[in-house]
This record gives sequence, C-alpha cells and structure tokens, in this order.
Amino acid sequence: MLYVIFESTRSALISIFAHGLRSFLTTLGIVIGVASVIAVVSLTQGMSAFIGESFSSLGSNSLTIQSYTPISEAMRGVRARVTPADLELIERRAEGVASITPILYASRTSQVRYEAQTTFSQIMGTTYAYGDVSQSYMLLGRFIAESDNLTRRRVAVIGEKVREDLALPENPVNEYVELGGEWFKIIGLLEPKGDIMGFNQDDIVLVPYATMVSLQGNQARTDIQIQLSLSEEADVEDVTRQLTALLRNAHDLGPEDDDDFVINTAEQLMETFDTIINMVTLVIGGIVSISLLVGGIGIMNIMLVSVTERTREIGICKAIGAKRHHILAQFLIEAMLLSLLGGLVGLALGYGLGTAISSSIDSFPPASIPLWAVGLALGFSGFVGVLFGILPAAKAANLDPIDALRYE
Amino acid sequence: MTPDDNSALIRLNGISKHYQMGSQLVRALDGISVEIGNGDWVSFIGSSGSGKSTILNILGCLDRPTDGEYYLNGVYVEDLGPNQLAEIRNREIGFIFQSFNLLPRATALGNVMQPLVYSRIGYRRRKDMAREALRRVGLDDRVDHLPNQLSGGQRQRVAIARALVTEPSILLADEPTGNLDSRTSADIMQLFDQLHREGQTLVLVTHEEDVAGLGDRVIELLDGKIIRDRRAGEPLH
Repeated sequence: MLYVIFESTRSALISIFAHGLRSFLTTLGIVIGVASVIAVVSLTQGMSAFIGESFSSLGSNSLTIQSYTPISEAMRGVRARVTPADLELIERRAEGVASITPILYASRTSQVRYEAQTTFSQIMGTTYAYGDVSQSYMLLGRFIAESDNLTRRRVAVIGEKVREDLALPENPVNEYVELGGEWFKIIGLLEPKGDIMGFNQDDIVLVPYATMVSLQGNQARTDIQIQLSLSEEADVEDVTRQLTALLRNAHDLGPEDDDDFVINTAEQLMETFDTIINMVTLVIGGIVSISLLVGGIGIMNIMLVSVTERTREIGICKAIGAKRHHILAQFLIEAMLLSLLGGLVGLALGYGLGTAISSSIDSFPPASIPLWAVGLALGFSGFVGVLFGILPAAKAANLDPIDALRYE
Repeated sequence: MTPDDNSALIRLNGISKHYQMGSQLVRALDGISVEIGNGDWVSFIGSSGSGKSTILNILGCLDRPTDGEYYLNGVYVEDLGPNQLAEIRNREIGFIFQSFNLLPRATALGNVMQPLVYSRIGYRRRKDMAREALRRVGLDDRVDHLPNQLSGGQRQRVAIARALVTEPSILLADEPTGNLDSRTSADIMQLFDQLHREGQTLVLVTHEEDVAGLGDRVIELLDGKIIRDRRAGEPLH
C-alpha cells in the first residue's frame, strides 16, 4: 500500500507540475478559501492573545462585586443593591482580602468641563485602595488619599484620554475641572493603560468616594460596586464562596432565592471575552469555509476533465497491468495533493494577509496563527481534495481498458 | 484435449465474441479454436472487421469472450477477476500497439519503467531493468527523451522495450508497423525476428501479407471465423 501511495504521489506531482497554470487556477479556490479562513483566525486569535495580556495587567487576583437584578425582577420595580454596609461587612469579616475599595459611578451626568471644552467620561467615586486593586499607577501628581475621602475634598484624578479630550496642559495637576456643577481640583494623572476591546481604560475620572456620595445627595439608596484584591495565599474560589455566603446572609436571601449580586473575577471576564471571540471565529470561519467547498468543486471539475483527457493514458496503464486501485490512488492522490498545495499556499497568504491587516490598523494586536488552525486548514483542504477527488478517480478506475484505449 | 496438456502456451477453444449493436447481433468472433506453442510466431491476418483485433484483446486479457475457453499457460482465464487479469497482463503479456500508446509526459525510460511500477519493483531496480530493455531494442542513447522528441520507429522501439521489460510469456502486437514508413517497418520487423530467435513467443495482428509472412504461421480470419491456418511462406492459393 505504501508503495502504491509513494508511486502515485510521484506521478501525481509530475502531472500537477506538467499543467502548472491549470493546476494553479484549479487550486485558486482552495487558496482563497484557506487564506481567508487563516486571515480571520489569525486576527481573532491575535486579538484574543492580546486581551489575555491586557487582563493579566488588570490584576488576575482581583474580584468585583456588583448588584444583579434579573429582568423579571426589574420589571416589578425591584432593584438589587450592593450597599456600603456590605462593604463594611466584607472589610470586617472576610479573610484573604488584601485591599478593598468601593466604586460609585456618577449616576446623573458624566459630563466633564474644562474651560470651553466638555467631554463625557467614566466618573467614579472610590478610595485610595483603588490604585492597588486595579493596578493603576500615577504618571503625575498623587492618588486619592484617605484624608481626601474623610474630608470629602473636591479633588480628581484623571486618565490620559480625558486630559487630551479636555485639551488640558501636559501637566494638568492643579487645574480645575467641572463635574456635575462642582469644581474639582486635579491632583494626579494616571499612567496610560490602553484599550481592552474598544473600551479605553484611560477615559476615566476618579474622585473620593465620600465626595461622590455627597454629590449624589440622598437620592435613593446607593448601589455601589466593590472591588477587592486578594492576599497572595488566598484562593479565588474560597474567597468567592466566603463572600457569597456573607452577602446572601446580609441580604436575607433564603435557600430558594438566587443571588442578587454577582462576583466577577478578571479571569471570568477574560473567559467571557474568549468565548465571544471563539464564537466570532467559528461563525466567520464557517462562512468562509463555504469557499473551500466551492474550491473543492472546482477541483472535482478539473479532475473530471483530466480523467477524460487522460482516458487513453488510463487505458494504456490498464493494458500494461495497472489494477483498479492503482488508477484510483493516482487520481485521488493527485486531487488531494492539488488541494493540499492550495492549502499550503493559502496558509502562507492568509498569514500574510492577517499580518498586513493587523499592522495597517493602529492599535490592532498582531496576528497569530494557533497550530490547530494550521492543522485544520491543511487537514480540511486535504479532506476536500479526497472528497471531491473520489468521483473523478472512481470514474477513471472503472474505465474499460478497451474503450479507454480506443478513445481519441 | 485437457487443460493439463501443457505443451501449448495459449489454447483457445470455441471462442466467440458477440456484441449487441442496436437491434443487430454482431459476431466479432465465432467459434475460434487455436493453439499457440511456446516460442511460436503467429500472425493473424484479415481485413478490417474480420475480428483480428478482438482476438488480440481476448488474448491480451483486455476483453472476455462471450463463449468458449481460454487457457493461458495452463490457467483458465475466465475464472479470474479484474485484478488478477491486470496481474496477468502485467506479468505474462507485452502489448505493442499500432499508435505506440506511450505515456506522453514520461520519458522513454519512464515509459519502460511504468509496467514495473505495477509489479512493485523498487525505483533503482526498475531503472536498471528499463535501461536493459531499451538497450535490447537499440535505444540506449535516447532514454531521457520524451515521446514527442522521438521518431515513429524510435517510439515503437520504446513500446517494444516496455512490452519486453517484464519478460512476458507472449508479445502481442497490433499492427505494429501500421504507422511507420516501409524502411522503419523493416527495422521493426527485424527486431521482432531477432526477439523470435531469442525464443520470444509473438502474436501479431496485421492486414499486410508481407508482415504476416515473416512469422512461422499465418492464421487468416474472415467474419470472425478462421478460414485458413497455414505455415508462413506457403502459397496463398
């Protein structure tokens, strides 16, 4: 069998290169198919790798707790909340927490003004511990201090994007910006962090938590977010379990009730992104692989022509002793090689395309092809070759030697 | 006459071949019985439609008779499946065609090597055997030429080398000189004569009396029947 495969490969290669242009045009369908699949995969996988890196910079041992109201509950006017009391409870009772900080998002307006410039940004009230938890570092000035919180000072720390949008000076410290009708003195500028999935991490304004609470007045009960980082020896799952028990107890939830809060880890977020990206890869890949099918039909077409064209040759081979499987193997392997060569060319082309696209778009992560995609692309194109080669090969193998020899 | 009686290399017993062509039954062969011994040179002669090509196809195991028995080397051929027939064609039979039937994309050497591919002989050995066969037909200086770079006579020599390379029991030639000019024809016939003298069994199909006359024995066919079986050189009438 190995002998037959080897000899068939030899003669298939001779025949493929004897019809160079035709072989090239035949495989073009496969080339384009594989190239587009690989381009898509390399781009999305590059993005996925990049997101992984971004999240690890976000601090993989940090947890976020926020309220969760199922839609059916919200329709009934019920709103779940995570309150400052919960924060206090966790501070007092939970183990394995290194630092903890509340985050209160500006609820009325997120407009920021500096002189004639206005912009909209993410305005958050938080404490000095935020720097630790979110691994944010200062470029200029200082971060929010405990005393800022205690005295409800009107100070703000801003991200680089906000500074640019408001046309603030290079060093914005000691300038004043208007937030929700109040003047805030800028005390620090954060080190830029870049994008995650189009979300700019530098588009951010931080003010002391207590200041934010006072700004919002006593409108309704506050719903805050709690971010905390774990101490080194703590286990994420253990702490999550502990926090869940604490909060369920504090919120008076019965054993039948669902949690009215969610605890997210950076890892979970990353997994969510990964799932989305994989889904996108799959869907686009699926659509694009239709072109592989079309390419396969092209190969079948040319192989059928080639069988007709070589009818006489097949007759000669049969007359000098070729068995059915010799002829079958020859055409099948020729179709497979044709398709596989197309796959190889497509692979190179697709990688080039992915790299070209990712490098031509600013801030787009570099393309990367995982090994499974290479294997899949080659495997699939080989499979397409075999699938669409069977019909022509069987036609060739079943030719009657006398008819084939008589064929003009 | 029993199949064990092994003096004959080929034994045809009441071979018939009928085709249905539209509503008409064509009797291409009608009860042919012939024995051909080892080392014989037999020519089938007849006009077109006499059934001489059909008998060559049957002898070459390319076609099966509708009726009758064919023993080749003591083997009852009708019992064999397509793959076994292919093996017989490969090992026992060497075909030579009127239009040479070389593989156009293979060199002379490649063409001669081709039958050996089907008998699972390794590349190196194949090459040596093919070179030797080409040397026997006097083409050792043309091994790397493609068929379209060779003259008609040279092409037929390549075809003969290809037929010889597996050392078959019989060489079957279908109008081997039909596409050649008279001088080249004479060369090729001389080659056949030489092979015959080396002990090769030869079966030729032709419509040219002077080609047929070179063998030991001439069998005349008409409308699928043998009308004469004579020694070569005997007067026609």
